[in-house]
Amino acid sequence: MNAVGDIVRFENVGMRYRLGAEILHDVNFALPAGSFHFLTGPSGAGKSSILRLMYLAHRPSRGSISMFGRDVSAVPRRELATMRRRIGVVFQDFRLLDHLSALDNVALPLRIAGARETQIRDHVAELLKWVGLEGQVDDRPSTLSGGEQQRVAIARAVISRPQILLADEPTGNVDDEIAVRLMHLLEELNKIGTTIVVATHNESLIERFKHPRYHIEDGVLTGPFVPERAAAGPAS
Amino acid sequence: MIGGVRDVPLSEDPASRYLPWTVGLLVFLATLALAVTLVLSAASDLWRQSLSGTLTVQIPPPVDGSDGEARVDAALELLRQTPGIGSAVRLSDEQIATLLEPWLGRQPESIDLPMPALIDVSVETGSVVDVGALSVRLTQVAPGASIDDHAAWLRRLSDFASVAVAVSLVVIGVILASAVSTVIFTTRTGLAIHRDIIELLHLIGAHDAYVARQFQSYAMRLSIFGALIGFTLAAAAVYALGEFGGRISGALLPDFTLAPVQWAYLAGVPVGATALVVITVGITVTRTLRKMM
Repeated sequence: MNAVGDIVRFENVGMRYRLGAEILHDVNFALPAGSFHFLTGPSGAGKSSILRLMYLAHRPSRGSISMFGRDVSAVPRRELATMRRRIGVVFQDFRLLDHLSALDNVALPLRIAGARETQIRDHVAELLKWVGLEGQVDDRPSTLSGGEQQRVAIARAVISRPQILLADEPTGNVDDEIAVRLMHLLEELNKIGTTIVVATHNESLIERFKHPRYHIEDGVLTGPFVPERAAAGPAS
Repeated sequence: MIGGVRDVPLSEDPASRYLPWTVGLLVFLATLALAVTLVLSAASDLWRQSLSGTLTVQIPPPVDGSDGEARVDAALELLRQTPGIGSAVRLSDEQIATLLEPWLGRQPESIDLPMPALIDVSVETGSVVDVGALSVRLTQVAPGASIDDHAAWLRRLSDFASVAVAVSLVVIGVILASAVSTVIFTTRTGLAIHRDIIELLHLIGAHDAYVARQFQSYAMRLSIFGALIGFTLAAAAVYALGEFGGRISGALLPDFTLAPVQWAYLAGVPVGATALVVITVGITVTRTLRKMM
C-alpha cells in the first residue's frame, strides 16, 4: 500500500537485462511528491537502471513499482503512454533529435499530447527564453554547445509540466559554472512542486546543494542520507 | 501530418526511396491487368449477345453441275417459313470477302474461289428452334447444307474469357502480395533504423498510433506520387491500345476502347493502392511497436 503522497515506490525490486545477471537487488525506496533527491554511485552501479525503471522504459524482473499510486505492472500498455506524460526525463546523452530545431525538440511532448500549433510556439519560445536560449530557437542541436543542448533537453523534459523530473547525469557534459546554473534551474522547478531525482557522481554539486541522496553500489541501494541543512527541513 | 514537423526523419531512409517506384509499378501493372479484365469481360458479353439467337446456314457450291442458286433460294424459303425464325438473310459476296479479309487480305474484286453460300438466320426472342430437325429438312432442299448454332464457339469463348479473367486476377493478386511484402519490409527497415527515436517518442508519451501516423503520412505522400506516375503511364498505354487496336479490322482483337465507367474503375486502382500502402504501414508499425514496452 502506498504511503499518502508517495509519487514513486519501489518494493523489493530486482532487475536484469534479458537473460543477464541481476543488476539491481531488492531495491526499496519511496519518493514523496515535491521532494528533491540525488542518486549517487559509481559508473555501472545501477543509477541509470533505476531511472529506466522509473521512466517506464523497462519492467522489473521481480518486485513491484508504483508510480503516482498505481502498480505499474497492472497498468495496460496503452495507459503507459499517458502515465509517461507525467514524467519528465533528462537523458544522460540528451537524446535530442538532430533533424529538428531546438524549438521543435522542446515542442515534442506538446505535439505528442495533441496541443495546438498556435499555442506551441509561444509556449516553447517562452521556456527557451527561461533557460537562456532565446537566440537559438531555430538552431539544430548539432550546432549547439554541450551546455546549450543540456538546457534544450531540460526544457523538453519540463515543457509539459511533469509531476516528476528524472535527470541522468545532467551536469556530466558541462563545466562547473553551467552545472550550478542547471542545478538552480532544477531547484526552481522543485519549488513549484515538481519532484526531482538527479542521478550524478558530481560530489561537489551534492555538497553544494543540500538534498537527501540515495546511494547505489553493485545494484544495492542505500539511503536516504539526509545532509545537515536538509535534515532540519521537511525532507523525505 | 503532411507538410508538418516529422519527428521521425523517414526521408533519410534508403529503403523508403524505393516506395514510390514500387507503388508506381504496382499501379501500372494492376491498372493494365484490370483493363484487360474489363475489356475481355465486355468483349465476351458483346460476342455472346451478338451470337446468341443467331444461326449460320452454310450451303456448299454444287459439285454435280446443278443449280446452286435454286438450292439457296429453296433453303431461304424453308427458313423463312419455319416457326420461330425471325429473318434469314443471305450474305453477299462482299460481306463474305470482308469476313475472309483477315485470312486472305483485301480482295480487289470478287474472290476467284468456289465459295459456299452463307445465310444469316435470326431466331425470334423467346423462340426455340429444333436445330437437328431443321438441319434434316434443309439437307432435303439443299444437299450438303449445314447449320452452325455457335454453341461450340460460345463455349470456347466463354472458357477463354473465364481463364483470361482468372489469369488477370491472379496477376493482380501477385502484384498486390509483392507490393504488400515490399511495404512491410520497407516499414520494418524504417522502424529498425529509427528505433532510438521511436523509443524516445514512447518515453515522452507517444501512443503507438502517433508513431504509426508518422510512418503512414510519409508513406501516403510517397504512394500518391508513385501511384499518379504509374496510373498515368498505364492510362496512356490503355488509350494507345484502344486507338491502335481499333485500326485492326476484322475484329481479331477485342475493342480496347474503354467506356467512362470502366475508366472510373481504373481510377480506383491508384486510390486503392495508396489506401493499401497506408493500411499496411499502419498495421506493420502497430504490430511491431506492441513488442516494445
